Amino acid sequence: MATHKPDARALLDDRGYSGALIRGQNPALLIEKAVRDRITESYYWKEQCFGLNAATLCDRAASLAFIGGTYGGVGKPTPFLCLLFKMLQLVPERAIVLEYLNFRDRTEEDEVEEGEGENEGAPEEKENEEVVMRGFEGLGKPRGDFKYLRALAAFYIRLAWEPVEIYRTLEPLLSDWRKLKRRTREGFVLTTVDQFVDDLLTKDRVCATALWKIPARSLLEDLELLEPRVSPLGDELEELENEMEGVEEMRNVGSEEG
Amino acid sequence: KFWDDEDVPDEVDDTDGVEPEAERVAWKLRELQRVKRERDALVAAEKEREEVERRRNLTAEERE
Amino acid sequence: RQHLLKVGETGEVKVARVEEVRERLRWLARKRREEVGGEVVDLGERLERRRE
Repeated sequence: MATHKPDARALLDDRGYSGALIRGQNPALLIEKAVRDRITESYYWKEQCFGLNAATLCDRAASLAFIGGTYGGVGKPTPFLCLLFKMLQLVPERAIVLEYLNFRDRTEEDEVEEGEGENEGAPEEKENEEVVMRGFEGLGKPRGDFKYLRALAAFYIRLAWEPVEIYRTLEPLLSDWRKLKRRTREGFVLTTVDQFVDDLLTKDRVCATALWKIPARSLLEDLELLEPRVSPLGDELEELENEMEGVEEMRNVGSEEG
Repeated sequence: KFWDDEDVPDEVDDTDGVEPEAERVAWKLRELQRVKRERDALVAAEKEREEVERRRNLTAEERE
Repeated sequence: RQHLLKVGETGEVKVARVEEVRERLRWLARKRREEVGGEVVDLGERLERRRE
């Protein structure tokens, strides 16, 4: 029977770490030492993360109420960051991470949205892959019933997966406009899933964590590893741009006159 | 200074679908900005390539 | 609690399979629907309408 350790002792044992590697290194090193120490010293880590596996982690993730890194004067880690660290300890298989990202309750989907529950063709395992392949999801009908779990999985993917997979898997989330609460050092601010994912793809730091540098999208396109991204705005894009230019022009004229 | 969880005012509401239309429009603007940013980066990269090319030609002519 | 049972006497935690993860998420989704009373009514209503 495959097992994990209940806590981070093995993960943090520099002399004897023998678990799964991420890009050739101990996954714990993806979190900076100072933050790592605060995580393993935190009450949430000790009390709520002890002994979790990839299934029981869902219990905690389902009750997440905000994302964020560290906060307060002492730099307390958010539960979100603690669970990320737990995922780095567990290194869940690909299918599990995709399940976190795209889980959709069948009951809701079958009974309410699709109507016809019977004629369901594709086996569920394939479904996640399809979402990734299609490039983007139907607008306004985002997958990932638990939006904070979805954000957590996205964060993990950005840290642990390979560049092409990162773009392919995370870009569909750029059309998920659901709100996320983010804890900052001083308080709370509002962001969205698409904004958070955009941060993951373009920024150097997110949630008290340095993001390793991934090759630019254009480079992967030149190497023919990625197709150019098609915005889900589609035909609307041009229209919107013209509108925007109109607004800009009006603004410019206004400022000249004033 | 002593920090406590409960001391921080939390007036941020993350409920979705309160104003569906406004939420959709706000997203459209963000998406538009992303597309523009991508495009601007491509244009900038192209310009740089041209500039490098131009300089290379200049030095070649100067050498003659 | 469940996680303590899982840790058991060996101090090891069983690695979860994707099926267990999905099952867990379904259970949590159901639980959440039941907790948010309004949604249950809503869903019930919709189900009723579908049957008609």
